[in-house]
Amino acid sequence: MGAKVPRNFRLLEELEKGEKGLGAEACSYGLADSDDLMMTNWNGTILGPPHSAHENRIYSVNIHCDSNYPDQPPTIQFVSRINLPCVDKKTGKVDPSKLPCLAHWKRDYTMETILIELRRYMALPQHKKLPQPPEGTTF
Amino acid sequence: MALPKRIIKETERLMAEPVPGISAVPHEDNLRYFDVSIHGPSQSPYEGGIFKLELFLPEDYPMTPPKIRFLTKIYHPNIDKLGRICLDVLKSNWSPALQIRTILLSIQALLGAPNPDDPLANDVAQRWKEDQEAAIQTAREWTKTHAMT
Repeated sequence: MGAKVPRNFRLLEELEKGEKGLGAEACSYGLADSDDLMMTNWNGTILGPPHSAHENRIYSVNIHCDSNYPDQPPTIQFVSRINLPCVDKKTGKVDPSKLPCLAHWKRDYTMETILIELRRYMALPQHKKLPQPPEGTTF
Repeated sequence: MALPKRIIKETERLMAEPVPGISAVPHEDNLRYFDVSIHGPSQSPYEGGIFKLELFLPEDYPMTPPKIRFLTKIYHPNIDKLGRICLDVLKSNWSPALQIRTILLSIQALLGAPNPDDPLANDVAQRWKEDQEAAIQTAREWTKTHAMT
């Protein structure tokens, strides 16, 4: 087992990766408040996967990394309205028990891991045709 | 997880012969992760302030430099809003012959000698160049507000 990167330095690495746009094309993320030394709140976006009801839509999510991150997963809440089994219909919160990367969280997973998995989840055969709320509406 | 001898030696020396105005204490549960405090140098706008930092020795230290940032808000042209530091020895001029001790001394020296021509915080650097007196005054006020509590 190697050196264990502490929370803040891990978040700085993720921030730099996000700022340089080195991540996956269809997802992005950044600090919600660029002054926040504790780097707790983040904004993420997911470009809806092609050949699905989400195609050409851009979904915003709030990501909250508390002091236990990355030992524990962050909490994720959709800002854009979406109809998905892992997303609470009233609040937009992602149910961690329903998204495998949150349910079986590993310390080397990142915010990008979650955004990519959410996008993949949207594209699953059983999810991709689900009727969606009007584009641009929010929770 | 075995800690390299080099890190153990550096830590022991930091404890046994601390540098005046600087302290670095490893976390009990992560001996590569240090709580650092640096006293603002005298005759600088940071005088009287105690600045908290965090330092982490990555897996391949000392082949790569330590990671370090301020946890106390500071108004300085080479330190950004997230406490990240622009200092050559932390980047291209790092050498494995340098140590935690020398890096912390370099940071303390940087507080005494801000370098607005190699800025990280552009807005601060610009103000530093345009109106140095006012910038220094702001740095003093921030020291009072954030580093003296």
